Amino acid sequence: MNKPKHPLLWTIVFTIVSIAYMYPIVLVIINSFKGKVFISSEPFSLPDAETFVGWENYTRGVALTDFFSSFGWSLVITLGSAALILLCTSMTAWWIVRADTRYAKTLYTTFLLNLVVPFQMVMFTLSWLTDFLGLGNPFGLWIIYLGFGAGLAVFIFTGFVKSIPLEIEEAATIDGCGPVRTFFQVVLPIMKPAVITVGILEVMWLWNDYLLPYLTLDLKHYKTIPIAVQYLKGGYGSIDMGAMMGILVLAMIPVIVFYLVSQRHIISGVVAGAVKG
Amino acid sequence: MNKHRAVRMLAAGIVAISLSGALAACGSGSSSDDSAGKVYYLNFKPEQAQDWEALAAAYTDETGVDVTVQTAASGTYETTLKSEMAKSDAPTLFQVNGPVGLATWKDYAADLTDTAIYEHLSDQSIALTSDDDSQVLAIPYVMETYGIIYNKALLDEYFALPGAAATSVDQITSFDTLAAVAEGIQANKDTLGVAGAFTSAGFDSSSDWRFKTHLANIPLYYEYKDDGVTGQPATIKGTYLDGYKDIFDLYINNSTTEPSLLSSKTIDDATSEFALGQAVFYQNGTWAYNDIKGQSVPDDDLGMLPIYIGAPGEEDQGLTTGSENYWVINNKSSEADQQATKDFLEWVITSDAGRDSLANTMGFVTPFDTFGDYQSTNPLVLADAEYQAAGKTAVTWNFTTMPSEQWKNGVGQALLQYAQGTGDWDAVRSAFVDGWATEYELAHANA
Amino acid sequence: MKRTLIRWGWLFTGPTLIAFMIGFVVPFVLGVYLSFTRFTTVTNSTWVGFDNYLGVFADGTFVHSLWYTAAFAIVTTVVINVAAFAVAYMLVKAFRGANLFRSVFFMPNLIGGIVLGYIWMLLLNGLLGIWARSITFSATYGFWGMVALMCWQQIGYMMVIYIAGLQSIPGELIESAEMDGASRSQTLWNIIIPLVMPSITVCTFLTITNGFKMFDQNLALTNGAPSRLSELLALNIYNTFYARTGFEGVGQAKAVVFLLIVAVIALIQNRLARSKETQA
Repeated sequence: MNKPKHPLLWTIVFTIVSIAYMYPIVLVIINSFKGKVFISSEPFSLPDAETFVGWENYTRGVALTDFFSSFGWSLVITLGSAALILLCTSMTAWWIVRADTRYAKTLYTTFLLNLVVPFQMVMFTLSWLTDFLGLGNPFGLWIIYLGFGAGLAVFIFTGFVKSIPLEIEEAATIDGCGPVRTFFQVVLPIMKPAVITVGILEVMWLWNDYLLPYLTLDLKHYKTIPIAVQYLKGGYGSIDMGAMMGILVLAMIPVIVFYLVSQRHIISGVVAGAVKG
Repeated sequence: MNKHRAVRMLAAGIVAISLSGALAACGSGSSSDDSAGKVYYLNFKPEQAQDWEALAAAYTDETGVDVTVQTAASGTYETTLKSEMAKSDAPTLFQVNGPVGLATWKDYAADLTDTAIYEHLSDQSIALTSDDDSQVLAIPYVMETYGIIYNKALLDEYFALPGAAATSVDQITSFDTLAAVAEGIQANKDTLGVAGAFTSAGFDSSSDWRFKTHLANIPLYYEYKDDGVTGQPATIKGTYLDGYKDIFDLYINNSTTEPSLLSSKTIDDATSEFALGQAVFYQNGTWAYNDIKGQSVPDDDLGMLPIYIGAPGEEDQGLTTGSENYWVINNKSSEADQQATKDFLEWVITSDAGRDSLANTMGFVTPFDTFGDYQSTNPLVLADAEYQAAGKTAVTWNFTTMPSEQWKNGVGQALLQYAQGTGDWDAVRSAFVDGWATEYELAHANA
Repeated sequence: MKRTLIRWGWLFTGPTLIAFMIGFVVPFVLGVYLSFTRFTTVTNSTWVGFDNYLGVFADGTFVHSLWYTAAFAIVTTVVINVAAFAVAYMLVKAFRGANLFRSVFFMPNLIGGIVLGYIWMLLLNGLLGIWARSITFSATYGFWGMVALMCWQQIGYMMVIYIAGLQSIPGELIESAEMDGASRSQTLWNIIIPLVMPSITVCTFLTITNGFKMFDQNLALTNGAPSRLSELLALNIYNTFYARTGFEGVGQAKAVVFLLIVAVIALIQNRLARSKETQA
């Protein structure tokens, strides 16, 4: 199990496969420096004197999509929603497990339903309700996301809380801590691995989500990166492939940086989430 | 413990901020300064998005009235309009594509009878009115013309060849001549240094309307003319569909592009083929000038031919002229907002900045009598004027009577399948004729 | 202690519950109600009973996209899980660069669906251009294009889960099997696969629901072209809602049907997997 028969052979094989695996991304980067006419006519060639346009695709893409403001709002929505989801759902999950009342059970079942329901089921009504309540801005979206994203988070947290021995909390109660202090000073630190797991999963979903913000945000003032990318399908539906390539690269950079920085957390988060799932 | 306290404070802060933000947003939904009125224009034309934004900013500088312009992404105008109209901060000004579009939104259309844009219409009969004619509900703001745009220099080069099917563009007054010329060009494409006679007939959503809507208008026009149809018929016969097939065959068989590639060819592909001199003919309209100008085809070399389908009497056929861009003011907006919108539109068609932007920057031909000094310099517009001066009959835009977007899509899909060889012409005919009846029924059942 | 805790319930569940009401419960209930009405906006609806549901199956595009989606979900589930398991099986072995390869395979997952769709549009149209074709030539091209995209995106994710499953198998088990003279394939089928069944359960569940719910990639890559033939269910519902006036009720009814399908799949899948696990 530990050592393959021909380690070197496997290294070579996987090196080739990995390069092929990265090729689509490399292809986008290559094409982002070519004039838009040449992207569709010769996508696989490297830029040469005739086709090279420098940073032009990037500047045009940024101008067309207002990229940096979209990036900012994506960040605000993602971080704010994730923080709010982690705080509120961890409290809720702990309470559901420990209180164990009929209300708690009902609540838990409803959260499970939320796990299965596809977004299309609520898309029309949710966009109406968001507007009706005046939540069609990035800060209002924190609440919407807390609502729509609660299911998964509660599910993983409750699974985790069940594995925490009661004695620790009982000791805190004997020391005179109320439920709030018990939770924040005793339980939450123990829950840290689960918090990281859920945080990772939620961030991956929030950052890339397209339809929910598209249908709920007031697009006159706010866009997110996926919305900005989709907006490049400009005049009557034809795509400015040049600007598109530039924006795709810009959209990937933060993701790749995030991945390189917190790769270990991300992978263990995925595993933990799956085992609980 | 301190660390935890900090976390707790931060978390409490986030909750407080987000809740107060939500509450504040609740409160400010509709109470924003109603006295002054504001304008929110949902613009249909992506090509002019930035021009409208600039115009709005100029108006705000001048009057202090807040004007927001939002442009729907391509092919999503109906979608965007629907979701925006459901919002509390709905557009005060939007557009419909004609009588069929107006039918959908008639409950939202304010009466425009005593507005400047109606008073200044050169021909008030082109405005759309309510069923009992008591109210004016929609007003066209741009008149457009389409046909087959051609490259004069390349065409003259062909005419000079021995054995050319014609010797001057004036001889092209029927489908047969057009077909002979196009096939001649295709046969001599290497001599002429072109990739094909026609630009690619792309069926990407940015381009397919040229065939499923604009080209389909020609057989429809002749059928209506024969049968004396006005308004929207419940069924059609498809009398001239053979001509429709002929012209479409001509497009795809004498083209720069393999038919199997058409599904993803875009309007940009066709425009650049024409603008770089790789094709002689390009079916499109006056609006395409903005994308053609300033490249390798000079303005003097741009002309436009009628789209011939072999119908009787087509020697007198002119170009296809009409409008599918009608302004509608939202009657669900506050009185102040409606008034502000009317004032804004009046400014657009009477002020220097507005007229200059519409005529010169956007390149529109408008139906208003205030544009005396602002004549379009668009050579494609001038081509239309020549046809009218020569006494040719302009083909009207009847595609505004097409029953639904779904019908157009059905026709477009069948056309594409036919072009690719994955479908046959019967499917086109069926989508055209049977699809019409089905869609008409659906549209009226749900009205 | 518990009584105090229950008294504090409003604080622990209040914020989540309020948001949950806004973000899910109310829209969900309204959505179910609206599927029985004819409406253009939420506040303006008339009760029509099951009419919309009849309209769902009268709509050819829905039935087509139902089969199309089912085929898509099945194909991607099989391909992704087989490939991810194979890669994981190799990468738990110690050879130079195994960790780096793991990172490479996982990365595409983080890139969002819309962005992925356009990346693959470039690649596939470039490739198909060699044969004078494009991704929107027919539903078949779109289908395999989306399968390729989906595999590229998810193999790494599932691989990570399988690696965790494989690593949790005690090494002695494998060694003793080899001592007893079991061949590699016997060890794989009789020991390894039964022991990683929990991972297989999770991964098949994830891939099949992902396949059924896919929207963004579909929107960006083919947008249903040609002729709405490459529309997966989610996109079909979206287009019914927003691209046709007068069909909002049918769209909402489609969404309810869609929900039922996804729920039933989740249940069946769960049952099957659990029964397998206990047998193992």
